[in-house]
Amino acid sequence: MTRPDAYSGPAIELIEVAKHYGKTTVLDGVNLTVAPGEFIALLGPSGCGKSTLLKLIAGLDELTSGEIHIAGRLANYLKPAQRDVAMVFQNYALYPHMTVAENLGFPLKMSGIDRDIVRGKVETAANLLQLGAQLDRFPDELSGGQRQRVALGRAIVREPYVFLMDEPLSNLDALLRVEMRAELVRLHKRVGRTTIYVTHDQVEAMTMANRIVLMKSGVIQQVGTPAELYATPANVFVATFVGSPPMNLFTGRIENGVFRGPIEAAVPSGLKPGLVTLGIRPEHVEIRNGGLPAVIDVVERVGPDSFLRARTAEGAALTVRVDGATRAKEGDRIDVRFPLEHLRLFDDAGNRIATVEES
Amino acid sequence: MAEAIGLNAEQHARLRLRRRRWKEFGRHVVLGLVAFILVAPFYYVLLASLKDSTEIFSYPPKLLPIPPYFGNYRDLLWDTGFLRWMFNTLFVATSVTVLKVFLDSMAGYALAKIDFTGKRIVFLLMLILLMVPIGALIVPLWSLVSSFGLINTYLALILPPLANPLGAILMRQFILGLPRDLENAARLDGLSEFAIYWRIVLPLIKPGLVVLAVIIFTDQFMSFTWPLIATTSDELQVLTVGIAALRAHGGANYGLWSASAVMSLVPIGIFFFVLQRQFLARSLAGALKQ
Amino acid sequence: MGLAAATRPGGLRLSAEEHRRLRRKARLRRELTGWAFLAPMFACFVIFLVLPVMGTVWWSLRSGGLGGETKFVGLKNFIDLPDTVGAAAAITNTLVFALISVPSILIGALAIALLLARIERGGSIYRFLIYFPVLVPGVVAALIWLFMTNVDFGLFNQAVKALGGKPIIWLGADHALTVLAILDVWRNVGYWALFFVAAIIGLPKELYQAAELDGASAWSRLRYLTLPLLRRIIFFAVVVATIWGLQVFDTALVLTSGGPGTATTTVIYRVWLYMFGATNKIGTASAISLVLIIAILLLTLVQMRLLRGRGGGD
Repeated sequence: MTRPDAYSGPAIELIEVAKHYGKTTVLDGVNLTVAPGEFIALLGPSGCGKSTLLKLIAGLDELTSGEIHIAGRLANYLKPAQRDVAMVFQNYALYPHMTVAENLGFPLKMSGIDRDIVRGKVETAANLLQLGAQLDRFPDELSGGQRQRVALGRAIVREPYVFLMDEPLSNLDALLRVEMRAELVRLHKRVGRTTIYVTHDQVEAMTMANRIVLMKSGVIQQVGTPAELYATPANVFVATFVGSPPMNLFTGRIENGVFRGPIEAAVPSGLKPGLVTLGIRPEHVEIRNGGLPAVIDVVERVGPDSFLRARTAEGAALTVRVDGATRAKEGDRIDVRFPLEHLRLFDDAGNRIATVEES
Repeated sequence: MAEAIGLNAEQHARLRLRRRRWKEFGRHVVLGLVAFILVAPFYYVLLASLKDSTEIFSYPPKLLPIPPYFGNYRDLLWDTGFLRWMFNTLFVATSVTVLKVFLDSMAGYALAKIDFTGKRIVFLLMLILLMVPIGALIVPLWSLVSSFGLINTYLALILPPLANPLGAILMRQFILGLPRDLENAARLDGLSEFAIYWRIVLPLIKPGLVVLAVIIFTDQFMSFTWPLIATTSDELQVLTVGIAALRAHGGANYGLWSASAVMSLVPIGIFFFVLQRQFLARSLAGALKQ
Repeated sequence: MGLAAATRPGGLRLSAEEHRRLRRKARLRRELTGWAFLAPMFACFVIFLVLPVMGTVWWSLRSGGLGGETKFVGLKNFIDLPDTVGAAAAITNTLVFALISVPSILIGALAIALLLARIERGGSIYRFLIYFPVLVPGVVAALIWLFMTNVDFGLFNQAVKALGGKPIIWLGADHALTVLAILDVWRNVGYWALFFVAAIIGLPKELYQAAELDGASAWSRLRYLTLPLLRRIIFFAVVVATIWGLQVFDTALVLTSGGPGTATTTVIYRVWLYMFGATNKIGTASAISLVLIIAILLLTLVQMRLLRGRGGGD
C-alpha cells in the first residue's frame, strides 16, 4: 500500500464498526479516530471485543458492517498485507522452522526487497532490540522475553504505518513485563509510529498510552487520556475499572440537595433529586474530625501507601488511602469527609453527571 | 497385612519380586510362542524357496538350507515377469504416494483453515464414505475407467486410489493443530494462501506427512482387487496380481511360489526397517509443539 | 495530538451497495481459494468414489452384461437375491467368515496387548515380530498358507503326523472357510495388538494402583477396570475390523480359488466372477456390491453415532 505522502489526516478511522457472529454481537457500533503517532491502548475486561477490533483493523477478520480507514483509504476490502500494518501477537507466532534472522527478514523477503538491504534492516532491528547474539538460533531455543522481542522486531523491520499489538506482554513474568513496558514506550518515542495496543491490564494502559479506549461488551465506554479517565470517568464502569483500589461508590438519592444513602454527604448544588451513585477515590477521602464516623476493619500496607478499609455506622464500606507509615490499626475510629470537588456523581444509568464545582 | 501372614517386610518384598519375575517369565513364554507362530511360516517359506522340488516334498523336512538352492530365484527373476511386476508396483505406489501427499495436504489445508461454503458438507461426505473400499465399487469403476479408454494403463492404477478421503481427513487433523496466529502472521507478512501452505504449513506438519506417506505406500503395495481388473496385459501387472497369476498358472511349483513370497517381502522389509524408529515409536510431536 | 473527536467523525463514506459489491468480491476470492485447494483431491473423490457409489445403485437396478445392453428391472435383482445361488452363497460365506475371524482377531489381539503392555524388556522385538504378518500382501500370505496346508508335506499336517494323527484336508469343503478365517487372524492380529497396546498404555495408571491396593486380582482388574475403560476403543476396533473382514477377496482367490465349489467365494469374489465370467449378471453383481456398501455405511454410521454420543471427539 503506497502511503500518500501528503496525507495529514487521521491515521485510523473507525466508523460504526460492528461485528456479529450469528446472534452474538462482539462489537456494536464502534467509532474512533486515531491521530498519526498516537499510542492508543484498547483496554477492557476479557470478552469486551478489543482483540476482535484489532484483528478487524489488521484485516484478519471481516467486519459485519462499518468502515475502517487507514491513512485515509478505505481498508475494509484490502488484504492484511496491503494495509501497511504490522502486528505483534500475544503468543508471538514466530515461525518455528526459521532462525531469528529469517523470522525478522521474512516479511521483507516477501516484499521482494533486495537481500543485502534485508540483511541491513534485520541487523538494525536486532541491535535495537538486543537480539544480535540470537540471530542464528531457532525460536524454541529462546527465552520468553527474547521471543517477544523477535516478534516485536519482525513488526519493526516492516516500518509499517501502524503497529498493532495484541497483549504482547501478558505471557511474560512480572519483572520482565515491567522492563518491556518501559522498553516499548522508549521505542515508541524513538520510532514514533501510530500504535494500537490491546491489554486488559489497566496499569499497562495508564503508563504507556497517550489515549485509552476503554471497552466493555463491544461498546466503547470512554476515550481519553489516562488522566481524563482517572479524574473524570464517563460512567461507573470506567470509574471502577481504572484505578486501584477502585473508587468508592455509594448508591442513594439526592434529596433536598443532600445525598442520602449508606452515607450522608453534601453534594454540589444544582443537582436534580433522584437516584444517583456517588463516587470518591480513596486518596481523596479526608480524615478529619467532625466528619462521618467509621471504624477501621483492615489496614493494608503496600509500602508507600496504606489503605484503610473502614465501615460506617450504617455498615457502608469504604477505602481510604493514607501514608504508608500510618499508625492506624484495626478497630480504630476515624472521621471521614468527602470534599465536594472530588465527588463524582453518576445517574441511575451509571453515566456521569457533570457538576459545576469540578476542577 | 504382611505381618498378619507372619512375614516381615523384607520377606514380603522378596516374595513380591519373585512373583513379578515369574509373571514376566510367563509373559515372555506366551509372547514368544505367539511371535513364533506368527513368524515361523516365513522361515518355513524361506527354507522352501531355497530347496529344489525334491527336497520340498521330503519328510522329515530339512530345517537348514544347506546347501541352498537358488534355482527357484533364478526361475522367478528370469522366467517370470517378477522384476517387471516389482517395478510396476513400486512405480505406482510411489506415484500415488507423492501425488496423494500433496493433494491431501492441500485439501486438508482448505478444510482446516479456509472458510468456504460447502466445507462442512464436503467433510461430512468424506467421513461417511471413508470406509467404502474400492473393492465394493469395481463394477462402476471398471466401466468408468474403460469408458475413458484407460483400462490397462498406469493412470488406471494411479487415479482411483487418489479418491480415498483418509488422507485429507488426517491432514486436516494435523493442520488444525497449528496455531491460528501463525498463519495470521504469515498473512500480514504478505504471503498468498498458497505460499502459507507451501512455506509454513507443509514444513510444520512433516511428521504427519511421513505418517500419511507410509500408510499410502503400504496400502498401495498390498492392493490387489483393483489392479486385478484394471490391468490386462502382463507388462502392467503389479506384484500382487502377478504372484496370484503364478498360482493360477504354474501347477504347484512351490519352490517358485516361495521364492516369489520372499522376494515380495524385501522392499517392505527394508522400508519398515528403516522407518521402524519413526513408525513403531511414539513421538510424532516435535514440530507440532504449540 | 490535536484531533479531539473520538466519536462519529462522520457517516459511512461508501454507500451500502458499494459495500455489498466489494464485500461480495472479497468473499468470492476467498471461496475460490478454498475450492482451489480442495478441488484436485475432491475431484478424484467425486469421480472415483462418489460417482461409482451412485453407479452401483444405478446398475443394481438393471440387468444385463458389462459392456453390453442393459435394461431397467427395478428391484428384481434384490428380490431374486436369495434364489441366486452364487450371490446368496457369497453373502453367507462372507458373513460366516467375518463372524469367525473378527472376534478371533480382536480377542487374540487384546490378549497379546495385555501382555505386551506390561512386558518389561524386549517389547519392541515382540512388537516387530508380531506385526510382521501385517506387512504381507494378502496373496503372499495365501501362498504361504497354501504351502503350509498342503495335505502331503505342508507344515500343519507334518505337525499332525508327528503327533500321531491322520492328515487333515485343510482346504476341503468343511474347513476351507475356517482356514481362510484363521489366515486372516494370522495376518491381522498384530495390527490390532499394537493398536490395543497404545490404548492400554494410555489408561490412567493410578486406577490400577488403587485397585491393587484394594486387593483386586489380575482377573478382576481386567474385568472391572481394563475392559470397561477400553469399551469405546474395542467398539471402534470391532466396527473397523468387521468392515475390513467383509472385503476379503485376495486370500480367497489364491488360497482356494473360491472353492471347493463355492465354499470360500466371498462377495467381492462373486462380483468379480460375474463381471468377467457370466454375461448377464451385472445387475446381480451390483446388487450384492450395494449390499456390501450399505452394510459398510451402516456400520460407519453406527460408529459415528456412538463415538459422538459419548462425549464426542476421537
